[in-house]
Amino acid sequence: MKSVWSGFRAVVVKDIVIELRARHVLPTMIVLGLLIVFVLRLVSEPSSGRAEMPMMAAAALWIAFLFSGLLAQERSFGVEQQNGCVDGLWLAPMDAGTVYLAKLTANVVILSVFELVIVPIVLLSFDLRIEGRWLDLVTVLALGNLGLSSIGTLFSAVVQLARTRGSLLSIVVLVVLMPMLIPASFALLVLLGAMPDEVAGSGTMAFVGSFKAARGYMLAFDAVFVVACWLLFGVIVEE
Amino acid sequence: MRRWLMVLAMVMLILSTGLGLTKGQIVPVQRNILYVHVPNSIGALLCFVALLIASVAYLITDRPIYDLVAAASAEVGTVLATILNATGMIFSRAEWNVWWTPSPRLVSSALLWFLYVVYLILRTSLPGSYRRRARVCAVFGIIAFLDVPMVYISARFIPDIHRPDFSFESAWQTAALVLSLSGTLVLAGVLLWLRTDVLRRRLELESQLHR
Repeated sequence: MKSVWSGFRAVVVKDIVIELRARHVLPTMIVLGLLIVFVLRLVSEPSSGRAEMPMMAAAALWIAFLFSGLLAQERSFGVEQQNGCVDGLWLAPMDAGTVYLAKLTANVVILSVFELVIVPIVLLSFDLRIEGRWLDLVTVLALGNLGLSSIGTLFSAVVQLARTRGSLLSIVVLVVLMPMLIPASFALLVLLGAMPDEVAGSGTMAFVGSFKAARGYMLAFDAVFVVACWLLFGVIVEE
Repeated sequence: MRRWLMVLAMVMLILSTGLGLTKGQIVPVQRNILYVHVPNSIGALLCFVALLIASVAYLITDRPIYDLVAAASAEVGTVLATILNATGMIFSRAEWNVWWTPSPRLVSSALLWFLYVVYLILRTSLPGSYRRRARVCAVFGIIAFLDVPMVYISARFIPDIHRPDFSFESAWQTAALVLSLSGTLVLAGVLLWLRTDVLRRRLELESQLHR
């Protein structure tokens, strides 16, 4: 147990130190995120002050999060390709599942830093207020973060030698992540005030949904993704 | 053998079309697309099950034939899922006046198509040894299979219009559907067999070339 923990900690610390010193990806992620928010803010001007504004904000937040997040995932094993570092990683005396969990943690940390910057920018530029629901917002963002990172870290190890690795990673991750994006966008719409907290209507709103249920679904899907990827990681990196 | 099964499938499909045009016709007329839509949706789902089983079998046994079965079922599944979504869109436009709307069934059908296409792209663009590529594809196949039920239950956060509320009135209609279902499934099975064979021969040729 102790050796698992020390190996885990070593990989996490290594990844974060590399990112702090070399700044491989965070500046690019933040600028890309800001540009996406900027463009979506420009085209949403006609709906300024109307009910559509929170929807545009939710769209801006998730698109910026997904595309910048994919940059972090690609870096995760891309940084190991230089000087054949990846061989050292596989030769280290710990099992592949631990390497996966460590890489996942590093990715979650990097994405959290990105979210700390981008979320206030979205809220300010779209002029939105979160009335006392900060904890809910942080929960939804953290769950989304974990879901994206779990799938992204698994397939980052796979696509590294492909010619089209960035685009390949993005289609694989986005299509697999789809079930989680549906409750995630619902929860964000509730928090930003575009949807009521609980929907049980009729007509065009003939569906049942509530913020709590959406959060529960995200939690369940995250658990499925993390456990499945953790178990399958050893299979795909084995030579 | 394959040729006769193909002929059998064609006969069943032609008979089903004949019945659908005459005694088994459903009113209003646009609902007759169900004779194509339902068999293809069942076939597309069965191909996904085949993809899952072949992927798991490959990871357990490491025998290339299972990887080839998985690839062939993804190819056949792509065709079936394309027909499924296309007929669904035509029906939706005629019945509800929209081409597409995010309801649970439509979202999962669209996702099914996306998963098949991404699987095929992943197969062709991964570098490295045959074994490594096959393992990655098998892992993607397993995770993708988890996705379909998950998106179906999570799509309840979106408004729903898909209500297939018609039932069959005559035995002719049931007969037409059963004929078209069995015809489609036999055809899909033959195509799966054919593609597996082609892929296997290609692999043999490649390994002889590289020797």
